[in-house]
Amino acid sequence: MVSKKRCLSRRGLLKLLGAAGSGIVVDQWLGANVAIAQGPVPEKAMETFTGPGPNPHWNSVGPYVTEPQKVPLILLTDRPVQLETPRHYFRTAFTPNEAFYVRWHLDGIPNAVDLKNWKLHVEGNVNKPLAFSLPELMNKFKPLSLAAVNECSGNSRSRLQPRVPGGQWGHGAMGNAMWTGVPLRELLDMAGVKNGSLQVQFQGLENGQGPEGFGSNLFLKSLDLANPVLDECLVAYQMNGEPLPMLNGFPVRLVVPGYFATYWTKCLTWIRVLNAPDENFWMKTGYRVPDTPRGNTTPEDVKAGKVKTVPIERLPVRSFLISPDASSKIPAGMNVMLRGIAFSGYGRVIRVEVSDDAGKRWMPTKLGDDHGAYSFRTWEVPWTANSPGRYSLAVRATDEKNNTQPDEPVWNPGGYLWNRIERQDIVVGNAG
Amino acid sequence: MRNRLRAIFLVMGSLVIAVGLLYADLKKGYYSPAQLGSVQQAAPIELLPDSNYEVAAFPVPAVDLAPGDGLQDVQIYCNTCHSPRYITMQPPLPAAMWESEVNKMNKTFGAGIPEENARKIFLYLQAHYTAENRKR
Repeated sequence: MVSKKRCLSRRGLLKLLGAAGSGIVVDQWLGANVAIAQGPVPEKAMETFTGPGPNPHWNSVGPYVTEPQKVPLILLTDRPVQLETPRHYFRTAFTPNEAFYVRWHLDGIPNAVDLKNWKLHVEGNVNKPLAFSLPELMNKFKPLSLAAVNECSGNSRSRLQPRVPGGQWGHGAMGNAMWTGVPLRELLDMAGVKNGSLQVQFQGLENGQGPEGFGSNLFLKSLDLANPVLDECLVAYQMNGEPLPMLNGFPVRLVVPGYFATYWTKCLTWIRVLNAPDENFWMKTGYRVPDTPRGNTTPEDVKAGKVKTVPIERLPVRSFLISPDASSKIPAGMNVMLRGIAFSGYGRVIRVEVSDDAGKRWMPTKLGDDHGAYSFRTWEVPWTANSPGRYSLAVRATDEKNNTQPDEPVWNPGGYLWNRIERQDIVVGNAG
Repeated sequence: MRNRLRAIFLVMGSLVIAVGLLYADLKKGYYSPAQLGSVQQAAPIELLPDSNYEVAAFPVPAVDLAPGDGLQDVQIYCNTCHSPRYITMQPPLPAAMWESEVNKMNKTFGAGIPEENARKIFLYLQAHYTAENRKR
């Protein structure tokens, strides 16, 4: 409700007479006391859910919430905690720790870690089981730093048609950080992986209320020992030069460059070498994608039992327009900078292009600093719309393996691997 | 007399137009009682130089569940492993999918919800959270 005085008060009249000739005071007086036309309406709240159509917003629609060590982020769920990063935090190549998205699977999330007792264990099918304290990880090994994007497998799930159950993320279940820690390979070599070993399993401090042996009890992920990504993995005790926030995996988390975040075990405490394939729920049933191009399939094929699945792996190439974000109009003729980010789990981004005519013509953009193959890469390009109207800006990236974002959507029952070209409608106003 | 009247109307009319134009340019000073609510800052927590690294409890804001039969079963059983915000966060889903979601909790995740209560839960979800009937 707008509460306004609708008539000219006596004091207002005197003020006007006394201020005759002073434009500024007249402005104030007009603004404060006269309501000739309809006044601005109060801000409305975002809708509380979207669907059955796709979520039309860049982010998910939940309320803001303040969690420990975090700025207000968008709440998906509170127990276990899932929080999305608002769009404007992606203006820079590195995502601030306090704004970095959060995704847990089970509700037993640590509120405290006592570093006097905590140790990282390397165990299982090894010659010499080992355990490292945080000071040992920091001092016994030469620290290595690398920039890498952490993206949730279900990022942008709310775009799928038909909608699928699961975390209804907008585009903000991703972030880029400079991770510092110990190469996983050095820890494995020190413990000595026995011949005949197949996989290495990762377990953090997270646990749930479900019975033993179920996915609701423990969250476990494994990688094949033959997978070359193991040589790039890091056991990180720093994120952007700071300790990790508890919700992002303090004291250490696994970094699997180019791979989806499901493998980036938080509060990593057990590294377990296996001599048989990991058949726990989170490998055998969860986080699997159709073994098809882009992981694409149809509800009919799933129903018919035709879909063979494989564990999800690398991040497909993606790019985003971050600003302008359509929250304001742009005056016609004004030259504005279009800015955004791009990344790929298959190699460095070499090209980002923008279109303002629904993808008919594409113009090149200038790429920002190269922080490494697995980092966000910023891009920018100046843009002017000379006539008022609605413009659909589209952005697409290409990586060094020549993967380019397609314009076709993706659908699979898990809601994974979404990477089509994104569009943003921008309103250009009459500049007078 | 007629001319004077005309002049008055003219002056008044231009005044209204002038004020209107000014106003359109200078619309300002409008406030309204808060509609969106505010997000309170957390106070800094006391930190000690010991080996224990602790954060506050993770907040669970109240969730707006549809009233109706089965709500109590939702609040008891679903809440064991996760807060019922997992329901309101979903998009509207087809009725059959709600049934399979509840079955997944029992079969895949071992939730151990008695059959009768599981049935009440999916009937509740089907009555309030499909594209045809979802309101909140």
